[in-house]
Amino acid sequence: MSKRIAGVVTLGVAATLALSACGESGGGDSAGGDKAAGGSVTLKLVAADYGDGPTADNSGDKFWKGVVDEFQSANPSIKVDVQVINWNDIDTQVATMVQNGQMPDILQTGDYSGFVKDGLLYKVDEVLSPNTQSDLLEKFAEFGKVDGAAYGIPFVSSARALFYNKDLFAKAGISEPPKTWDELKADAEKLKKAGVSQPFGLPLGQEEAQGESFLWFMGNGGGYKDASGTWAIDSPQNVETFTFLKELTAAGLTTPNPGTKDRKTVWEDFAAGKVGMANGGPMSMPIFEKGGLTNYGVAPIPGKSGPLETTLGVEDWIMAFNKNGHQEEIKKFFDFFYASSAAQKISDTYKLLPVTKSGIEKLSSDEKLKPFLDALPNATFYPFTDPKWSEVNTQIKQTIGGAVTGDPAKVLGAIQKVATAG
Amino acid sequence: MQQTSPLKRTARALAPLPWIGPAIVLIAVVVVWPVVAMIQSSFLKINRSGVVQGSNGTANYTKLFEEPDFPGVMARSVIWVVAVVAITILLSLALAQLFNQRFPGRRLARWAMIAPWAASVLMTGIIFRWMLDPEVGLLNMVRRDLGLIDALGGADADQLGQAATAMPWLIAVAVFVSLPFTTYALLAGLSTIPAEVYEAAKTDGASRLRTYWSITLPLLRPALTVATLINVMNVFNNFPIIWVMTHGQPGYSTATSTIFMFILKRSDIGESAAMSVVNFGMVIVLVAIFLKVSKWKNEVS
Repeated sequence: MSKRIAGVVTLGVAATLALSACGESGGGDSAGGDKAAGGSVTLKLVAADYGDGPTADNSGDKFWKGVVDEFQSANPSIKVDVQVINWNDIDTQVATMVQNGQMPDILQTGDYSGFVKDGLLYKVDEVLSPNTQSDLLEKFAEFGKVDGAAYGIPFVSSARALFYNKDLFAKAGISEPPKTWDELKADAEKLKKAGVSQPFGLPLGQEEAQGESFLWFMGNGGGYKDASGTWAIDSPQNVETFTFLKELTAAGLTTPNPGTKDRKTVWEDFAAGKVGMANGGPMSMPIFEKGGLTNYGVAPIPGKSGPLETTLGVEDWIMAFNKNGHQEEIKKFFDFFYASSAAQKISDTYKLLPVTKSGIEKLSSDEKLKPFLDALPNATFYPFTDPKWSEVNTQIKQTIGGAVTGDPAKVLGAIQKVATAG
Repeated sequence: MQQTSPLKRTARALAPLPWIGPAIVLIAVVVVWPVVAMIQSSFLKINRSGVVQGSNGTANYTKLFEEPDFPGVMARSVIWVVAVVAITILLSLALAQLFNQRFPGRRLARWAMIAPWAASVLMTGIIFRWMLDPEVGLLNMVRRDLGLIDALGGADADQLGQAATAMPWLIAVAVFVSLPFTTYALLAGLSTIPAEVYEAAKTDGASRLRTYWSITLPLLRPALTVATLINVMNVFNNFPIIWVMTHGQPGYSTATSTIFMFILKRSDIGESAAMSVVNFGMVIVLVAIFLKVSKWKNEVS
């Protein structure tokens, strides 16, 4: 009997060990870049999925397979292994790869700056031909530099604007989209009276709270940093902004419990006609249209006293890791990619904006994208070149939604503390 | 008595090795090594992109303990484990008793009990989140039709949006997925109790309650111990339910230590490893407390 219990305990402890260890032992397959049998080289490419998921028609897997097939038939001696990871997991999975020394050759994701300090990346000059470099939009390429040397190559970009449901606006008797916060509040009240459950869609949940908050901060002359470049997350303007959002939420004029709602959910609710207005980008258009909503308008985002003159510019990156030493092959792939129709295909499929002059030119005739293309040159960016940004970003995503139910000054103050600590 | 040579003695001592060797290797590689790596990482400075930047002393732990949300997260983890395991065990005792009786359709009922177990926990979490969706959730439609809420889409219909109403739902789902295993473990325990013991109790004129309390429960103790132990560890480390249903939000107000560890991993891998180690320690402490409380040692000796 005692042996049996001892066995149970041993089993229990072993299970404990195994379960606790789960979080630690990350995935990741064998290091890419081994020379294959025929003297050919295998490039390992890790990319974020812009599509709706692995089985959707617009999945990243399918997109990259098309690109790679074309590239491989032109360059038979180079094989490209693609691993597409969704946005929620890509950062942690790549970190695990780096931690285990299994770097990809090429990585396409939302940030490059974390890899620069540790010397993991090729400089852009080393892996991109001058022709391709000169086609990139200067303003965007400029953000790929750390201490004057470029490491990040702009991949795609995006901008934001206010989307409103024209049918619901007509039903509530509103003739044109709001320009100021007061108008926004008045319109939201009218929408509420007309029976709209979420007059303003406010996603402050984990997915993209840092973007939504930033748009509101800018409407009041605030932001994450002040003009001199120091962190100012709990500035009076920002506190005032969240005080306004708190009133809006308390009056039931927004998505309920905004701090727990993801952008994707709000966009889907907008597509279902449950939301009067919400901030979005070109990438939300396919979601709206898929949900059957076509009668929507796009307008500049309202600010406290007038519409925003700037917008949130978001830029995703592609970069090359130097560990496996495949400089020549990577260069071939990049030059192929930017010269091919692939970039154009991304814009078409995912409604993301191009980062090359030739790409912008090709799109300039698209009426729906025009407001965004026009806003791009004047875009404002996250302070992502600051080494603290990733930590601040995590904290914002998890906690800033609490500012619409709790004390805005206290919540923003806690985030400011993370930004300025150590 | 013949004197055995030292060589022979060693050979005899090593004889079982070929049989237990593979198990030892497996445990060393799959269990011990990751734990060692985890403990090592907790003392390293690792940046967000995964590069080890050297030793960090105990700074990861200091930073972790100074997190304003840390005490709340730990307290919530304990409440979470105690609540889920206690409710699961109580319900399972009743269910096991029921399934141990003969009644028409018992086979079907036993099969149905397996369903929450067979389904992926992640899927179960997603389905419950959908059913609780403020705009289109099935449960909210039922609540509206019953007149419990005025309309869909508002704060009243959004139970997962507030910690006070979200936690009971999270616990309910965790109980739901823990029930099958626990019930079956207890059912197996019940079937080992010989019928003669009950007959003897009957002859002595013991009441049903008395019989359950003095015969069934004590004889069920080994099964109860195993079921509780495994549940404690499982529930403590449960990640998918909370992650899928609330992401630990609003703020960290529905986060347990496992969720907290995962969120930390996005900003500071070393601190996250420190959280893992604390987590690991917590499970061992919880198990030790449980074994002490259930006095398994006295019982078996």
